[in-house]
Amino acid sequence: MPRNSLLLVLSLLIIRPSLARTTGDPPDSNRAQALELLDHTGLPDSSAFWPNVRLPLFIANLKVNLNFPQKIYQGVNTNFCGYAALSYLPLNFDPLAYTRFMLALYKDGEASWNGIHFRPSPEVHQAAGTLRFKGILDIRPADQIWFLVLADHFRSYLNFFNRRFHPGSEDTFWAAVSYGKFNRMIRELFGYNVESRGSDLIRPHFDDLYDYLKTNLARPGTTYLYVNNTYLHKKNHNKFKGSFPTHFIVLDDIRRIPGEEDRVDIIYWDYGGRTLRQVSLRFLKKILFGVTHCTHP
Amino acid sequence: MIRTLTYYLLLMAILLTSCRTLNIAGYYHRHRQSLDSMETTFRTAYQEKPFSIQFTSRSFNRVSLELITDTLTYIYEYQVGEPRLQDTLKKFGYDTTAINYLIRVMQTRECTWIDNLDYYTDTARHSVVYISLWPRKFNFAFVNKKYYILTYFQRPQYFDSEGRLLVGHRLRHIRKINGDVYHRINDRVCYTISDRFR
Repeated sequence: MPRNSLLLVLSLLIIRPSLARTTGDPPDSNRAQALELLDHTGLPDSSAFWPNVRLPLFIANLKVNLNFPQKIYQGVNTNFCGYAALSYLPLNFDPLAYTRFMLALYKDGEASWNGIHFRPSPEVHQAAGTLRFKGILDIRPADQIWFLVLADHFRSYLNFFNRRFHPGSEDTFWAAVSYGKFNRMIRELFGYNVESRGSDLIRPHFDDLYDYLKTNLARPGTTYLYVNNTYLHKKNHNKFKGSFPTHFIVLDDIRRIPGEEDRVDIIYWDYGGRTLRQVSLRFLKKILFGVTHCTHP
Repeated sequence: MIRTLTYYLLLMAILLTSCRTLNIAGYYHRHRQSLDSMETTFRTAYQEKPFSIQFTSRSFNRVSLELITDTLTYIYEYQVGEPRLQDTLKKFGYDTTAINYLIRVMQTRECTWIDNLDYYTDTARHSVVYISLWPRKFNFAFVNKKYYILTYFQRPQYFDSEGRLLVGHRLRHIRKINGDVYHRINDRVCYTISDRFR
């Protein structure tokens, strides 16, 4: 194959932009509608499908998510960060659909969203409500159901060797989210238009990263960054770190620091809260493996 | 022959020292006063305004502060002693005396991170002060780092016969904090050895 063709094929595999429809449409539903549905839906005190989920905690969890959508937390040492990151979209822009889905899951043990039917495995039904030592996720059974159901349904090559849930799978590749899977979930589940640059292995090239991110943020929609978390959220001082991405964050803002050419303030959402951090653009380039921009359908 | 023997001895010395472990319980008892005072100072200052402190360099001269407000967590990194650090603390209304004291003691005790972690017993929230120690003499460039972690509970805990931390008196399962099993030093203080400091 000629070298140029090979490069073209590779670039198509790595960089897969799709056309975005940039609209300023209002959200599909609002918090008040979702809370009203929650308040007016009769639920059984215990569910045959979710034997370890306690109704008062389930309802309290949904209310927290609806009232404080930014507080959704993946849990300590789990691999649920991809699912927590994509939850940002329905909780902020379509809380009614999210609530309807969760209530149907609780009542019937299975549910559909945007034409996708979720029928969780018996292992997942048993596990929801039993995850422990995960921080506040311990007392959030609705989030446990949500993360487990998503991980159980959407699979990718990262999940090849961990096909079925077993206790502790939330910390393993069973729950991992590849870049392609992340974009696919947003597109298929929420019907968003997804424009993405990046991959699981090779960092995308940006002529001017600051300008690219700033332009994305200026457009309507939500911008996700796919980053190497061993640098962003450092947990050890080892000289050799894996050079692959492991974490999704929502980029809120990026600002140049006056008088410092290469340094910027980035404001991002992850781990149930927003963070402002000063980093160099060199550092940001080093940790960045993907930029996804989602626009409202 | 002598040169070969020297190389062997050198290699053995490196291997042996890299496998050495710190007796963390002994370390705690030797430095109990300063470690306990770190915990007390941190807990009091944290209750006023939440934050965490991390030393990011091996030389313990670069410090990163996480200043937690209702809307945003600010992460800033400074050289120790940099005037900007004091300006930031004042601007955000932190207790400068307490934080400067903690930075000083953390440097002396080679503590790389101090934070407050929440854990849950049934539905009740509790907190634990989490102190990660990274003693310099146990550091080798090509060996994965080991951290000695102390956790301070607010009330006495339950342990099994091997001294492992349990969930509770009735629920006799082993409790994990941040993914690690902890061992008893005394009723309120536990330790673990981990490959990550947080």
